[in-house]
Amino acid sequence: MDKILRDKKAIIIFIAPAFIMFTLILFVPIIQVFYYSLCDYNALTKPEFIGLENYIDLFTDDETMRIALKNSLFFMIFSAVSQQTIGLILAVLLTNIKRGRNFFKNVYYLPAVLSSAALGLLWAFMFNPRMGINQMLAYFGIEGPMWLSETSGFIVLPMWVIAFVALWQYVGQTMMLYIAQISGISKELYEASYIDGATKVQTFRYLTLPLVKPMMVTSLSLNCIGSLKFFDLVYNMTQGGPNHRTDVLATHLYTQGFQYFKYGYASAISVVLLIMCLIVSFIVNKCIKVETYES
Amino acid sequence: MKRKLLSVILSVGMVASLLAGCAVSTDTGSGDSDAGAEETATTTEDAATEDEAEDVSASEDAATGEEIEITWMFWDDLEATEDLISKGYKEVIDRFNNDYAGVYHVNVITTNLEEYDTKLNALIAANDTPDIFICNPGPNLTQYVEAGVAADLTDILTNQEKEWYDSFSGGIFERITYDGKIMAVPTNFAAACVFYNTEIFEEAGVEVPTTYDELLAACEKIQAAGYTPISCSAGTAWCLSMVAGYLCDRVGGPDNLAKIESHEMEWTDPTFIEAGEKLKELSQYFQPTAAGDSNDQATAALYNGEAAMLIQGSWAIAQINGNNPDFEQKCGVFQFPAVEGGADPNRMIVKTDNLVMSSTTEHPEAVIALMKYFTDETAQKYTAEVGGKIPVVNGVEIDYTKAPAQLSYVQDILANMTGTFGFYNESLASVEAGDTFDNAMVDIFLGNCTSEEAFQKVEDFYLKEVWE
Amino acid sequence: METLKKKKTISPIQVLIYIVLSVLVVLFVFPLVWMVNVSLKTNAEVFASPFGLPSVLQLGNYIYAWTKGYLGRAMLNSVIVCGITLIISMFLGSMASFAIARMRWKLSSLVMTYFMIGMMIPVHCVLIPLFVRFSKMGMTNSLIGLILPYITFSLPMTIFLMVGFFKGMPKELFEAACIDGCNIYECFFKIALPLSKTGVCVAGLMTFVGNWNELLLAMVFISDTSKKTLPVTLTYFVGPYATNYVQMFAAVVIAIAPTILVYCLFSNQIVDGLTAGAVKG
Repeated sequence: MDKILRDKKAIIIFIAPAFIMFTLILFVPIIQVFYYSLCDYNALTKPEFIGLENYIDLFTDDETMRIALKNSLFFMIFSAVSQQTIGLILAVLLTNIKRGRNFFKNVYYLPAVLSSAALGLLWAFMFNPRMGINQMLAYFGIEGPMWLSETSGFIVLPMWVIAFVALWQYVGQTMMLYIAQISGISKELYEASYIDGATKVQTFRYLTLPLVKPMMVTSLSLNCIGSLKFFDLVYNMTQGGPNHRTDVLATHLYTQGFQYFKYGYASAISVVLLIMCLIVSFIVNKCIKVETYES
Repeated sequence: MKRKLLSVILSVGMVASLLAGCAVSTDTGSGDSDAGAEETATTTEDAATEDEAEDVSASEDAATGEEIEITWMFWDDLEATEDLISKGYKEVIDRFNNDYAGVYHVNVITTNLEEYDTKLNALIAANDTPDIFICNPGPNLTQYVEAGVAADLTDILTNQEKEWYDSFSGGIFERITYDGKIMAVPTNFAAACVFYNTEIFEEAGVEVPTTYDELLAACEKIQAAGYTPISCSAGTAWCLSMVAGYLCDRVGGPDNLAKIESHEMEWTDPTFIEAGEKLKELSQYFQPTAAGDSNDQATAALYNGEAAMLIQGSWAIAQINGNNPDFEQKCGVFQFPAVEGGADPNRMIVKTDNLVMSSTTEHPEAVIALMKYFTDETAQKYTAEVGGKIPVVNGVEIDYTKAPAQLSYVQDILANMTGTFGFYNESLASVEAGDTFDNAMVDIFLGNCTSEEAFQKVEDFYLKEVWE
Repeated sequence: METLKKKKTISPIQVLIYIVLSVLVVLFVFPLVWMVNVSLKTNAEVFASPFGLPSVLQLGNYIYAWTKGYLGRAMLNSVIVCGITLIISMFLGSMASFAIARMRWKLSSLVMTYFMIGMMIPVHCVLIPLFVRFSKMGMTNSLIGLILPYITFSLPMTIFLMVGFFKGMPKELFEAACIDGCNIYECFFKIALPLSKTGVCVAGLMTFVGNWNELLLAMVFISDTSKKTLPVTLTYFVGPYATNYVQMFAAVVIAIAPTILVYCLFSNQIVDGLTAGAVKG
């Protein structure tokens, strides 16, 4: 038995294909992206080493980068807070009703499996100044705002709109993860707490919440990384416009890399994105684990 | 800029989609998995799509192995397109392949407009540059010239093919000449004018304005009559930027851009600031949804009779007449008004489509033969009569009764033209510089910053990226 | 006992919950229904009577979208790309997971960490080096150029879920199999794989949905109309030229209809699978 499970040749056969692909297509390019980010490199020239110049430009001289960073962080925080709270509330509500649980679950989860490119088009129509929601508001005599081209405020209106659409699309996914976790909690625990005279709210606070915490780590890191790399909805709803006000990191990377062909500069944006993702996953894992130990 | 093509495809396409469309879906129904018989036709060009294979297979069958093959890269799908200019290009290719069967053969690589540059750059990076490709003037062409991708055509044009060279309209090579070297051959051009609704003008009692102040007065009257004076799209930044470009030139032309390039002039020059302020002033007469409206929506506002004027390139003719044929007779055209105390008011924004020969092509003679087909009488006649664009060669007899009515108005305006300039965003140092200008104009329009602040941004960009 | 009885009668709070949930259902379904409605109208009708039903069903919109948008071609491409990706990534992923979860070797946890780092890295970060390398190799305009990165970026999630599943299997199973004379490959193919059907389904679903909807990579890599995947094809309708709402929505409906159909048919299994998978994962 033990000998079979220690079979070196078999281990290599099992691991090697995945390992090699992973290394060639993920890790080697990551090393390359670090190198490119230190180069002056565009599509038609050879990379030329220039040290940290791209990064210096990125952080001192690039207004769009500042907007993109601000928008991406806003988007991440908004998504994390709203999706986790609403997702958890929905999960608790759904586990507490008797009839139609599957129906509601299926409906809420539906947008998450649909293509966000397609839904982006749908919502761009809904928030068009002459269409969709504004037609609806006009019906009641209200003149709707220019949802996707308003540019005043610290976080511009289009970003809020996109964030709400993302919430609409992905809240079902978060809800699903929590439902999974809550249905894993044994029925006896709940029975016991009711017999002890605990109210529903108390049960939620002292029983459900601590027990779903492990899921919160997974859900929150997926959520945060997903928001940082967010591209589809922004591209299909505003394309970063008007005047880059709704650019996020991924659209800025796309514009610099594949519209202006500044590969070196876009690589620097990639590296920033990469580091942010790593930091965020680290923080999420660290913080929530500490809390679990305390309680 | 390139989006105009797609907008035309979509709008014209509505009409005749069914039949042509059905044919397309079967034609293109092959790819990696089931290429089968068509595979043979694709030959060496792994990048050539099945569409082209289909397109050319008929003549290919008859051809011998000796045939010289070249590739042409284009930004629209020749099989599926509803764009009249693209259809004309397809005819040229078919005619060429037929006439030269057994000698030359063109394979076409098509992409969609948005990805054209990405795709072309990928091919260039892979040392697989198409022998001949279409290119916008300005920074797009400049990058290929600087990278040595484009071949110098001066010798061929001015010595070997003198007769052909002389057939072109005067000054047409101006914007595609670098240090005295001609780097491309134009196939057609379009000019930007003001299109207006003659009925609304009559109703509001407005004459065609010839000065900026008259334009403002006209707008005031039209607004009082209950119409939107000017339809403009700021959602599509280049549309707004074109108006800004006209204002910049009318106030401070005609050498301002050349001086900017050599840094004899700053973007913070009073003439630019004034143009920006005039843009803001004019924009109060735009439709309320201008900030979010697309180019198509803005054009639709004109031909639906909601707005009185539209400042747009002459490619809009096909779109207007295609969507509302009745509008053709009430649609007038005038040139962008003069600014009192400003510069020469008879200069026009024009834009050419250009063919570039790869510097690494092995068959320049085949490429030149193809270029000639694009500029021969048949092709140029089609350009005007069907495509509604302006020919680049002299002596083409155009039957204006066949051509859209607006085209002859545009030609009349061109007769008085004293000079041309490009779209501002396509005349600046790089694609990014053009975007910076566009976005600065959008910012002025949205009221996010003053004209000074907006041009300061362009100035900053130039100081950092261009004038180092 | 009292609490149990209480649950059977519907309390006001329950009514309130149902009202909230139903309002949400409207919020989730209404945009989709509106979209279908618009896709059957003419452009003029969309402006004139936004809420009315179409006077004549404009099926021509669908024909236009299908042919002009190359949706048929695109759907086939998406099926090819996602299908191949699904099969290969599930296969490679579960093999690696089996070795990590059940076999005994020193580096197993290190290799697991290595794969898990992949979960934190968005594909955007390697877009440029991949594009540069693939275009030098002439792979940027082929479906293979999409399949390889898709497989790679599906592996971490697959391995994450499958390791959880394999670890959850009782040790005795494999011991019994070994005594019966199974070698390690038979253990994997005949015992481990068939028993982790739920896990394979969940991981497969996530891989498939993720790749089916992936936009950025496909947009950058593929420019040939006949090789585009579904989401890229839809970007044809994006932005400044998007005024043909009726046809655009017809295209969107066609694009998401298969997903909705599959989802409706299997929603309960999918949802249950996810629930089961997540718990074990």
